Amino acid sequence: MSDEMKKIGEIVVRERMSRRTFLRGVGATGASLALGPLLAACGGTTTTTAAAGETTTTTAAAKTGGSLKVGIVGGSAKDTLDPGLSSFEPDNAFVTQLYDGLMGLSTDYQLENRLAEEVTANADASMWTARLKSGLEWHDGKPVTADDVVFTFQRVLSEELLGAPGLPGLKPEGIVKVDDMTVEFRLDQPNAIFAEGLAMRYNMIVPVGFDAAKPVGCGPFKLVEFRPGEQCTFSAYDGFWRGAPKVTDLSIIEFADESARVNAFLSDTVHAISQVPRAQVAVIEASPGHEVLRATTGAWQPFTMRIDEKPFSDVRVRQAFRLIVDRQQMVDQAYAGFGWVGNDMYAPFDPGYPSDLPQRVQDIEQAKSLLKAAGYESLAVELVTSEAIGGGAVAAAQVFAEQAKAAGVTCTVNKVDSGVFYGDQYLSWVFAQDFWYTRNYLSQAAVGTLPTAQWNETHWKDDEWQKLVEEAFRTGDDTKRNELIRAAATIEYERGGLLIWSFNDQIDAHSGKISGLVPDKSGIPVGGFRFHDAFFV
Amino acid sequence: MSEIPKVTDSNLVEPASTPGSGRSSEWSETLRNAWSFGRTKIGVAIFIAIVLLALLGPVLAPHTPTEFVGAPYSRPSPNALFGADNLGRDVLTRVLWGGRTVLGLSIAATIIGLGGGIVFGLIAGYARRFVDETVMRLLDVLLAFPQLVLVLLLISVVGPKLWLIVLMVGLSHAPRVARVTRAAALEISQRDFVKAAEALGESRVRILATEILPNITSPLLVEFGLRLTYSIGLIAALSFLGFGLQPPAADWGLMINENRVGVAVQPWAVALPVLLIGILTIGTNLIADGMGRALIGIERRADV
Amino acid sequence: MPPLLKLILIRLGLGALTLLLVSVVVFWATQALPTDTAQAILGREATPERLEKLREKLGLNRPVYEQYASWLADVVRGDFGDSLVQQDTPVTKLLRTRVVNSAALVFVAALVSIPFSILIGSLSALWRDTKFDVTVSTGNLALAALPEFVVGIGLVLLFATNVFRVMPAVSRIDPGLSLLNQLDLLILPAATLTLAVAPYVSRILRASMIEVLESEYVMMARLKGLKGPLVLWRHALPNAIAPTLQVIALNLAWLAGGIVVVEYLFAYPGIGQSLVDAVANRDLPMIQALCLLIAAVYVVLNLLADIATILVSPRLRTGLR
Repeated sequence: MSDEMKKIGEIVVRERMSRRTFLRGVGATGASLALGPLLAACGGTTTTTAAAGETTTTTAAAKTGGSLKVGIVGGSAKDTLDPGLSSFEPDNAFVTQLYDGLMGLSTDYQLENRLAEEVTANADASMWTARLKSGLEWHDGKPVTADDVVFTFQRVLSEELLGAPGLPGLKPEGIVKVDDMTVEFRLDQPNAIFAEGLAMRYNMIVPVGFDAAKPVGCGPFKLVEFRPGEQCTFSAYDGFWRGAPKVTDLSIIEFADESARVNAFLSDTVHAISQVPRAQVAVIEASPGHEVLRATTGAWQPFTMRIDEKPFSDVRVRQAFRLIVDRQQMVDQAYAGFGWVGNDMYAPFDPGYPSDLPQRVQDIEQAKSLLKAAGYESLAVELVTSEAIGGGAVAAAQVFAEQAKAAGVTCTVNKVDSGVFYGDQYLSWVFAQDFWYTRNYLSQAAVGTLPTAQWNETHWKDDEWQKLVEEAFRTGDDTKRNELIRAAATIEYERGGLLIWSFNDQIDAHSGKISGLVPDKSGIPVGGFRFHDAFFV
Repeated sequence: MSEIPKVTDSNLVEPASTPGSGRSSEWSETLRNAWSFGRTKIGVAIFIAIVLLALLGPVLAPHTPTEFVGAPYSRPSPNALFGADNLGRDVLTRVLWGGRTVLGLSIAATIIGLGGGIVFGLIAGYARRFVDETVMRLLDVLLAFPQLVLVLLLISVVGPKLWLIVLMVGLSHAPRVARVTRAAALEISQRDFVKAAEALGESRVRILATEILPNITSPLLVEFGLRLTYSIGLIAALSFLGFGLQPPAADWGLMINENRVGVAVQPWAVALPVLLIGILTIGTNLIADGMGRALIGIERRADV
Repeated sequence: MPPLLKLILIRLGLGALTLLLVSVVVFWATQALPTDTAQAILGREATPERLEKLREKLGLNRPVYEQYASWLADVVRGDFGDSLVQQDTPVTKLLRTRVVNSAALVFVAALVSIPFSILIGSLSALWRDTKFDVTVSTGNLALAALPEFVVGIGLVLLFATNVFRVMPAVSRIDPGLSLLNQLDLLILPAATLTLAVAPYVSRILRASMIEVLESEYVMMARLKGLKGPLVLWRHALPNAIAPTLQVIALNLAWLAGGIVVVEYLFAYPGIGQSLVDAVANRDLPMIQALCLLIAAVYVVLNLLADIATILVSPRLRTGLR
């Protein structure tokens, strides 16, 4: 049986993996904010010179050394150290220590160079060139070369790793080594946001012949011991290109249970924890020597309405549902106030975001009349939710069901387990929820709303909108592209299938004994897991 | 603790060894005897109180179970006497609503368990020899699984459906009930009136239904009380583990699960349902114990 | 063959038979139920091709008895297959430390609860119908009724959060440290299990002790002038314990199942929590292994109790001659 079951395991995991939203995880893609300067001079060749590594210079007295212990959300025996498969929070926390990418994102959501000295694009953004920093070394002392970069992206494409969807237009034969330090990416189609793909966690660079069982990277920490589902321990890598981490040892410990995690933190068993339950914020704030790390993010948990299924195929029903929601109450009850109200459009940090459109507020009368006009005076819907969507999701579903009563809509909450929610019915639920992390508009559209997107929950398809987005992908000019994005977002505001009621805060905590962790706008927990910046005071 | 069959003194002595003397009035006599124990009265009082709470609670509730009365986990206030839960709903209201499911599902599961157990037990106890051996051996196999594990085993395949949970909790009782039924039936089937019926050529099914069953009601009443106690614990535990009722249902077990994380801030949302489940099980166990004592004819002693 | 040996062999045979049947039940429930296993794994909207492929891989197209035979052959060799959730990792490897943790918890609980219940039970018998006895019996009745999570949460409310904050509310064992260094984490879970088990053992011991104390043999000892406690410990206890061995074994076996809720409650990384996780994730090989393990513990403990009862019980021994 062992062999058979093994094969089944593989099949099942792949099937599920390919469908789960977790894949879209954090560290995903980058910023038009950064693309602004990147493409400004698109007439010629552009160079990114974003200064990297100069984050957080703190005035507090930094001590070097010490053993940092961090508690995070429990994964399972399924945890992986392969960046290309890093789906869940523990995976993210682990691979962020072990590896680094050509590019990355700063705490304020700016694209920055990491292993790359520079990343440049040609005139129509169809060919990108990355040049490595000199003197980079792997944990085992070998130099980081263009061969490793080629190997990494070949691997991502051939094994269909999670980074592949973020590199549209890239084919294996398009990855070309120019010299020991330089790699060219020749795309089949122009892609103004290719650099964002390079910044994805899944596309962090691994050495030729990479074996996730004996992981060698060039990130700030080296692996000491890995116990999937339990913990991972690291030691500082002195050869890290930004300089050796300030702590000597790092343990990232998984806690399946929220209260276990908080308790371990309050009893000083760990110095920092991710994902503080909103209910515990008051407890931590009241506890001396423990600080809450609260970050405003662009992460969201929309209600998803399938525009090709009744009743949501009628735009009036979609708009009515958007008017049913009392967004502030939703934030207050479901998120205990830890979030800011959304306006049915994603990518709030995108310069093209239409922030001047009127904030949609609850209007039961209007909602009722829209429903009546659509012929749904008494409407019953089933809202599918799951704990797997994330904290607050099941709560939000219940708040919605309660608010919907006022408009004569009977909303039944159907809570299913994670295996079911992200199982084969995922992306076919008529009315459900999902979660997304901070992204800019085009990256989000590429994975969530374009017909080619892998996770188009609402089956959104709109010709006018699609033209605008496709044009934006080919548009180098900032102002023009932002105008296109603005127009596209407005269309979604008027007839989209997403009910975006809030962007949730990321709440983590750290001990007063450590410093150097700063809120990360991307929503990656514990200051983006940037533990090389953390130090004991 | 559900798989331990020895709870009450009644089980310390094989209950079936001393069924009442007469025929039809036997169980009413047991009830009368049982009532003479103070603990039975306390148990009945508790049980009635909780049933009333569960039935009338929704009428008395100051709010609806899903409306918001404050911030999540807000402290008790005049508007919400026991504070708010994880979503800011009134804890008191949800507690008043949350007893129906616990009681209803537990009673349903107990009836299923008793029914199944009686059928198997009667067959085994009356048929004896080969059938008896086979049936009891098979039931022994099920007894090797703790009840909760058995229920989880089946949930894992079919998924956490409410009907399945009731059915499974019921079936997990069946082997235990069957043992008691069998022992009682074995004893009765030796009696003269059964022999007489057999001599008259009455069919076995008829004898089982009209001669044997009515004479083993007393031990079965005790079983009912016991199994009900366990059903309550099991059903609530399943909700507590997240496999039972699903949100937004107001249910005591689910309330504990949902509000556990806020227990340091707002203990009432956990403490009240825990307390009520605890009191309810104590009540049903007192009744079972009282009936058990009546059954084995323990002399009436000083009321406790 | 001596009759005693024969009796023990018969018991062993029956135990083995029960284990075999237990494996049938586990297999039947997880793999051969009318519910389509492939469907259960893939979710409700699995495509026909995928279902077919998975059935092929699982061997679901073969006759059920063949599937069972090959599964059982693997299980007997200690191979429960790989976890469905964690690729390439054998279930046995995933469970190793968890089994140790759970065993430690059960061991500590047993170590505390059994002597404690024997003491309480004996004293209740000795001081029958006194205030002590009545109090204990009332307490037992209440405790026996309470579901274990009610007891556990009660302890958490009392000792870990709201009244006194002296204990950890959760018991996450640090896998890097020896269990002996974190015994404080075991206190509340072990106390919960103890309170769940003690009523049963002490009640049965009380009853059995009363019987022994009223026996001629103890009367004789008393008449000879032996003092109460001495009679109790030296003469009555050994005789009273024999009939309670079954109940003690039953309770130990119960602990193996009771840990499911208690481990979940205290986030204790043992097999109970593994089972809850496995059920939520439908990790069939994991569920099979855990259910078999828990049932096997029960069967083996019962068997040991049976044999011990045969060996220590004079009545049974003489009855054979």
